[in-house]
Amino acid sequence: MEIKTIDQDGVMVLQLTCNLDGNTAPEAQEKIMPMLVAKCGLVMDLGKCNYISSAGLRVLLMVAKQVAAQSGKLALCGVSEEIKDIMDMTGFSNFFETFDTVPAAVEAVRKEA
Amino acid sequence: MLRIDLHPTHTSKDGKYRLRVGKPLPFGATIVPGGVNFSVYSRAATSCELVLFNKHEDKPCCSIAFPDEFRIGNVFTMVVFDLDYENIEYGFYMDGPFEPREGHRFDHTKILMDPYAKVIGGRDLWGKTPDWSDIYQHRARICFDDFDWESDHPLETPVEDLIIYEAHVRGFTKHPSSGVKHPGTFAAIREKIPYLKELGVNCIELMPIHEFDEFENSRTSPVTGKLLMNYWGYSNVGFFAPKGGFAATGKFGMQVDEVKTLVKELHKNGIEVILDVVFNHTAEGNERGPYISYRGIDNKTYYILTPDGYYFNFSGCGNTLNCNNPIVRNMILDCLRYWAADYHVDGFRFDLASILGRDQNGAPMHSPPLLESLAFDPILGKCKLIAEAWDAGGLYQVGSFPAWGRWVEWNGKYRDDLRKFLKGEPGMVGAMAQRLQGSPDLYQWEGRGACASVNFITAHDGFTLKDMVSYNEKHNEANGEGNGDGSNDNYSWNCGWEGDTQDPQVNRLRMKQMKNAVAMLLVSQGTPMILAGDEMANTQWGNNNAYCQDNEISWIDWSLLNKNRELFEFFKKIIAFRMAHPVLRSRTHFLNRDYVGSGYADITWHGARAWNADWSLNSRLLAFMLCGKHAKCGKVVDNSVYVAMNMHWDMHGFELPRLPKNLFWHVVANTDAASPQDIWPVGREIKLENQFEFLVGPRSVVILLAK
Repeated sequence: MEIKTIDQDGVMVLQLTCNLDGNTAPEAQEKIMPMLVAKCGLVMDLGKCNYISSAGLRVLLMVAKQVAAQSGKLALCGVSEEIKDIMDMTGFSNFFETFDTVPAAVEAVRKEA
Repeated sequence: MLRIDLHPTHTSKDGKYRLRVGKPLPFGATIVPGGVNFSVYSRAATSCELVLFNKHEDKPCCSIAFPDEFRIGNVFTMVVFDLDYENIEYGFYMDGPFEPREGHRFDHTKILMDPYAKVIGGRDLWGKTPDWSDIYQHRARICFDDFDWESDHPLETPVEDLIIYEAHVRGFTKHPSSGVKHPGTFAAIREKIPYLKELGVNCIELMPIHEFDEFENSRTSPVTGKLLMNYWGYSNVGFFAPKGGFAATGKFGMQVDEVKTLVKELHKNGIEVILDVVFNHTAEGNERGPYISYRGIDNKTYYILTPDGYYFNFSGCGNTLNCNNPIVRNMILDCLRYWAADYHVDGFRFDLASILGRDQNGAPMHSPPLLESLAFDPILGKCKLIAEAWDAGGLYQVGSFPAWGRWVEWNGKYRDDLRKFLKGEPGMVGAMAQRLQGSPDLYQWEGRGACASVNFITAHDGFTLKDMVSYNEKHNEANGEGNGDGSNDNYSWNCGWEGDTQDPQVNRLRMKQMKNAVAMLLVSQGTPMILAGDEMANTQWGNNNAYCQDNEISWIDWSLLNKNRELFEFFKKIIAFRMAHPVLRSRTHFLNRDYVGSGYADITWHGARAWNADWSLNSRLLAFMLCGKHAKCGKVVDNSVYVAMNMHWDMHGFELPRLPKNLFWHVVANTDAASPQDIWPVGREIKLENQFEFLVGPRSVVILLAK
């Protein structure tokens, strides 16, 4: 799996290019967790994520909890309609702010930070 | 801290999997560091193999025999390391004797589902025709149990303060008129929460949501040509798993999260969740039925068998679960604890609960250990336990169900007496006095209180409210059983014409009778239960047993909400009236005396003349007054309430009991008046000009409030 990191004016944008499922979730978690430092501003771009399974959603939630614990700010973007729908029905969307584009998400995170 | 017991000690024969002896408890599949712990009980099996499939694949990807040293007592247990547990399905091969006369029916060629499976695949999409050649129809999967409940907690609303709304997950929103995104699913119920709140109910009782097979006994109706299915779902495949086909996310295997999200959201809105649970039988049927799980794992443990090894059929569904066998009893207890602790459900309604009190030979017991265990269980300590206190084997225990101060009952007598009174049968006034007070004739002898009675006029079994006032006879032809199924004791009255009619007089009377029914229900002591859809006059066209109808017969038609707005408004306001007045929600029975010094007894009976109820055979008039100062045993001050019921076909004057100075009777409801004057919102009741007498219209109910 590949996770691209781009710094946009102090906000870290993580671009995930893989399916997030039981196979990739542990690795994703291992890679992302150390990046979550105090007061971090983070955008997760899921535009190149075709599929997120139950285990994948759990990684996202874990990230959200960790960011919150570090008094940071997290936003998602590029979430497909289907994944958004699944997140709504299973309650995961309650824990995230989602935006259509990377700039919108970056802007929202920066405002809060 | 690292554990030293988390290293494999064995390797599977094919060398693919690393293994270790597991923990026998908990049963089922549990995610542990590095792997999955499998544990399954069988007393009579001689060997067991774990069968693994990649999700959705026809053939198993491997089969791992439990080494002899992995059996602890009668439990096979093993940790398998490095499993991609999101993408596997598992089952068991069990070997053992096939000796039906001895109760054993092992068949080592069948793949058996784990009785403790927490997610079950195989029927992920409702109604998708199964591949009958599949060697493993109902597939156990591994469940994530780390749902984030945040601060959610079961609501623990006192049972007498509940207003229960009984609904079928699919039927509630499947109709195209429901206007939801994913019709017929758990997610769709969530979309209807604002509607439930507007109606004012504070508890939803879901008909079975445990995994079942909608294709069990599926067939084509000879009458309509439509597919008849096991639509209601009173036939469990697994007790621990939610029905995948009821979840919009079932195809992604995320039904567990979807149900939990629904419960959490309902709780946030003050609505409790009660599950209808079916522990009286399973979907395996009799000796001709399929091997799904229990039969092949330990037939003799799980079922009540005749001396020659056939299945007793107290459920009317082919077999009877051996509930008072210690193993099965523990499974039921584990199951309910799991739903209470992991799903935060608020209570359970037990289908054909009297079976739960039968011993291993089928005889009713005096103090059934299962019912006692449930009553005293620490984890279920605040859960509502509601019994359908009868079974198909002839046991009828309304009023005598073993309760230990914890169990409440569906009060079938309430339903029957209220229906008879409503249609104007003579001789019902005395019985009605009992029903309105929370049936002290049934429950007082044991000191169970009014809250022991769940009052209802309609439920999934039987006519809907609209059909109860539209049909004298059931019309179940579409079920394809020659109209022989379903109850014949409906105590219904069609108001002059069988079925749908354009006759305005008949329709007006039907509307009034529906209002009369719900008015009497909502002023009765005990816990009221409403059947979903009754508030908009939903019809099943006279079908009083729609268990197999996955179509417009059983789906609630939401377009009726606009058509019958008047009835919905009446429901809404009468519910709000009950919720506003604790005098209607007593936990205990009345004492029929004044114990607070108000000058009035807690309840007093009246008729055409105040203080003089007519209890004679031909009387169809009854009125009662509840003294507000006796509300909640005198702990709360409320207004006094007077209710006059005239179930005679002529108008009658009711002399009103005198109120103390400065208090006046105000009209809350008068079902004889045209909408919107039929019922007034809380706080906007209309002061009566004549404080001495009220002319109650033919077949009408009047509710007055003193203020």
